[in-house]
Amino acid sequence: MAESVQDNVERGDGDNVKTENFFTLKKWNAVAMWSWDVECDTCAICRVQVMDACLRCQAESKKDFYGKQDCVVVWGECNHSFHYCCMSLWVKQNNRCPLCQQEWSIQRMGK
Amino acid sequence: MSKTSVAAMLKDRNQFSFAGKWPCMRPVILKLLKQEAVTQGEWQDLFYSVHLVCLWDDKGPPKLRDTLKVDIMDFIQQAQQRVLAHQEEQALLKAYITEWRKFFTQCNYLPTPFRQLETSLAGKTTTQKRNQAEESIVRKLMLDSWNQSIFGDIKQRLQDSAMKLVRAERNGEAFDSQLVIGVRESYVNLCSNTMDKLQIYRDNFEASYIKATEEFYKIKAPEQLSLHGVETYMRYAEVKLREEELRAQKYLEPNSASVQLLTDCCVSVLVATFKSAILAECPRMIQHHETEKLRLMLKLMDRVPDGVSPMLKDLEDHIASAGLADMMAAVDVITQDSEKYVERLLDLFRRFSTLVKEAFDDDPRFLTARDKAYKLVVNDSTVFRLELPVRQGTGVTAPVIPTKPVNSNNGQPESKCPELLANYCDMLLRKTPLSKKLTSDEIESKLRDVLLVLKYVQNKDVFMRYHKAHLTRRLILDTSADSEKEENMVEWLREVGMPADYVNKLARMFQDVKISQDLNQQFKEQCRATIADSINIKILNAGAWARGSERVTVSLPLQLEDYIPEVEEFYKKKHSGRKLQWYHHMSNGTITFCNKMGRFDVDVTTFQMAVLFAWNQRPFEKISYENLRLATELPDTELRRTLWSLCAFPKLRRQLLLVEPSTYSPKEFAHDTRFWVNHEFAIVKNGKLQKRGKINLIGRLQLSTERSKEEDNQSIVQLRILRVQEAIIKILKMRKTINNAQLQTELVDILKNMFLPSKKMIKEQIEWLIEHKYIRRHEDDINTFVYMA
Ligand SMILES: [Zn+2]
Ligand SMILES: [Zn+2]
Ligand SMILES: [Zn+2]
Repeated sequence: MAESVQDNVERGDGDNVKTENFFTLKKWNAVAMWSWDVECDTCAICRVQVMDACLRCQAESKKDFYGKQDCVVVWGECNHSFHYCCMSLWVKQNNRCPLCQQEWSIQRMGK
Repeated sequence: MSKTSVAAMLKDRNQFSFAGKWPCMRPVILKLLKQEAVTQGEWQDLFYSVHLVCLWDDKGPPKLRDTLKVDIMDFIQQAQQRVLAHQEEQALLKAYITEWRKFFTQCNYLPTPFRQLETSLAGKTTTQKRNQAEESIVRKLMLDSWNQSIFGDIKQRLQDSAMKLVRAERNGEAFDSQLVIGVRESYVNLCSNTMDKLQIYRDNFEASYIKATEEFYKIKAPEQLSLHGVETYMRYAEVKLREEELRAQKYLEPNSASVQLLTDCCVSVLVATFKSAILAECPRMIQHHETEKLRLMLKLMDRVPDGVSPMLKDLEDHIASAGLADMMAAVDVITQDSEKYVERLLDLFRRFSTLVKEAFDDDPRFLTARDKAYKLVVNDSTVFRLELPVRQGTGVTAPVIPTKPVNSNNGQPESKCPELLANYCDMLLRKTPLSKKLTSDEIESKLRDVLLVLKYVQNKDVFMRYHKAHLTRRLILDTSADSEKEENMVEWLREVGMPADYVNKLARMFQDVKISQDLNQQFKEQCRATIADSINIKILNAGAWARGSERVTVSLPLQLEDYIPEVEEFYKKKHSGRKLQWYHHMSNGTITFCNKMGRFDVDVTTFQMAVLFAWNQRPFEKISYENLRLATELPDTELRRTLWSLCAFPKLRRQLLLVEPSTYSPKEFAHDTRFWVNHEFAIVKNGKLQKRGKINLIGRLQLSTERSKEEDNQSIVQLRILRVQEAIIKILKMRKTINNAQLQTELVDILKNMFLPSKKMIKEQIEWLIEHKYIRRHEDDINTFVYMA
C-alpha cells in the first residue's frame, strides 16, 4: 500500500492544489481569554481579584449581573491598579495610592 | 344621759340578751335547715334578733355561734341516719346526694341573717378588714360540720361506691352518671379552705378515681397485650386513651388539672409500661411500609417521654441500610451510568419520602431523620470512591492570601455522587440521545430532580467544578440542547443556595458567549480576508472561565497563525488595559478530508488539526514521531494523546492515521514510530462504506492540559484550603475576637454550601494564619483568636 501512495506524490507541487484535495480548513473556533493587564491580580482595597467584580458590585448585582461590565480596573500614574469602584471611594478619604502612598492620579482606565 | 334612762336601757338589755332571744330564733333556724317554709316576718325577725343580741349582749355572739353549731350538728346527724339507712350502693349514693344538695342550698341562705354576728365576732379578734370573698363564719360552720360528721364517716363508702359505678361503666354497664357527678360536686363544694377550694376533692375523689383507673388497666392492659399481640394492643390502647379522656371530662372537675392527671396516668399505664414492647415492632413495620400501624405507633409514642426518638433512629437506620443495600445491589450498572445512578438515588428518595408522608404525615422530626439518612446514602463512599490526593499541588492561581500553606491535606475518600450528578446534568443539557428523547418539560423536571439530590450532597464544590467544566464544553463546542434551559439552570442553582460568586461566574459565561458573537460580527465586517468567514473567535473573561490551567503552545497552520495578530489588533482598538491569551487546547474546528474514497468533514481539536496539517505538504509520506513533534511544537504528552486519538479512535472502524510499528498505548510511541494518512479512510455505516459524511473526533474537549488534569483533584483541596482561610478571616474581621467553638460553628455555616471542612483542616489553617500573623491567640485564653489588621 505504501508504494501505491508514493505513485501519486508527483501529482502536485503547488500548495493550492494539494490543500484543495487534502485537509482543508472548513471552520475554526478559536478561544482566547482576556484579563486586565495588571501586576497584581488582587485589588488591595477590597481584596477581591480584579477579574471579578468588586465586593460592592458583587453584593449589588445578584440577578442583574448579566449585562453589567461596569466594574472595570483603573491604573494610577504609579502603575498600581484597583477596581475603579473601590478607588473612587478611596480617594474621597485619601487622595493617595493605598500601596505606595504617592499622590493618586489616573493613568488609564480599563475598557 | 340621765340615770333613769340608763336603768331602762339596762332592763331592756336583759331582754335583748342571748338567753332572751334564742327561744324565738331557734324554730326559724330549724325550719331553714330542713328547708321548710319560713314567713317573711319570721325571716326579718331573725335578722333583727341577731342584731340585738350582738348589740346588747357582750357574751352573746360566741354563745349564738356555739348553740347554732349544736343545732347544725343535730340536723346533720339526722341526715346521716337517713343516708345510712340505705345498704345498697346506688341507693346510698342517691340518698347522700339528695341530702347534700338540700344542705348545700341552705348553706347559701342560713348565713344571711347572721351577718351581724360575723362582724361582731371578727371585730373582737382582729381589726383588719376581712376579705369580702371569704366564707362567712356560719357557712364555714355548716360546711365544716358536714365535713366532720357525715362526710368523714361515710366518705370512704361514697368514694368506693362511685368508683364501683365507674368500673361498671368501663365494663360496659349503664347507670345514672349523675350519681358519680353528684358525689364529686359534694367534694368540691365541701371545702371551706379558701386558699385551695379543691383540696378535699383532690385528696379524696380525684386520688381515688385515678387510683381506680390505674388499677383497672394494670390488669387489663397486659392481658390485652399477651392475648392479641402488639398491633391489636396499640389499637386497644388508642381507643381506651380516648375513652378515658372523655370519661374524665365527665366525672372529674373541669377547669382543674384533673383530666390531665388522669390522662397522664392512662398514658403511663397503657403506653409507657409497654414502650419497649411496642417499639420493638417499629423496625419491622418500617421495613414493610406498614403505614397504618406506624401512624398509630407514632400517635402513642408521641405521648410518652423519649417515645419518638427510637422511631426516628429506626427510620434513619432503615433508610441508610436499605438505601445503601439498594445501591450496592446495582453497583455494576450505576458506577458506569450516571443516568441510572441518579435515577436510582431519586427512586430511593421518593420511596422514603412516601413512607414518611404516609406513616408520619410529613412530621418535621421524621423529615429531618429522612434527610439525615438520605444524606448518608448520597455521600457514601463505599459505592464510589473518588480519592483526593493527600499531597498538595500548586493548581490554583491568585489566591486571596498570596502565600500558600503547605501542610494541609484532606485525604479522605469522597462519594462520586457530585461528579455523576454533574454528568447527568450535562446529558440533559447537551444535545444527546437522552435529551433528544425527552420533552422540554421532562428535561426540566429531571433537572429539578438533580437539584433535589444536590441539596444532600456534602461536597457541592465537586459538583460545581464538574458542572462548570461541562458547561464550558457545551458553550465552546456549541452543543447546548436548549440555551434557555441552560440559563434557567443557573438561576435554579442560585435558588438552591449555591454560592453567589460561583453562580455569578456561570452567568458571566453566558454573557461572554453573547458578547463574543457581537464581536465576531463586527470583526467580519471590517476584515476583508476570505478566511474570516470560516473563523469564529470567542474572547472570554479569564476570571470566569479559566481555572488556572497552563496554556499549551502549538504551531498553528500558517493561515491561522497569520490571522491571530489581526484579531488582537482589532481587540486592542475596542478595549484598553486588557491582555489576550490564546487557549488553543480549547479551540477546535472542522476540516474537510478528501481521499480516493470520498470527502469527509471531520470535527477536530486544534491540536488534531495541527498534526493532520503536517501532511498537507507531503500527503503520502510516513512521518516519524520526532518530526511531528518538530512540526507541531506540541509537548510530548499532548502530542502522544493527540496522535492516539487519530490512530485509535474508539468508535472508528477505519482510522484516519496509520502507525507502525503498531502499539497498544500512546506511551509506546517511540521517536521513530512512523505515522501516515490512511487513504483508504472512509466512514463505515451498517457495514457499508460511505462516500460522504461527518465525524467528530473531538471527544471530550480538553479544558486543561494533561499535567493540570493530574492536579485537578489537588486543586480542589487547594481551593478548599483557600475557602477555609477566607472564611476564617471574614469571621474574625467581623467579630474581632472569637473562641474556637464559635469559630467552628460559623465556619461550617459559611462553607456548608460548598463542602464540609474537616476539623483537621480547620485546625491547620488556623495555625497557618497565626504563623502568618493574620490572627493571633488571645493572651489569656489559647482557645480564643484575635484578628490582626
Ligand atoms: Zn476592589
Ligand atoms: Zn465594582
Ligand atoms: Zn501606587
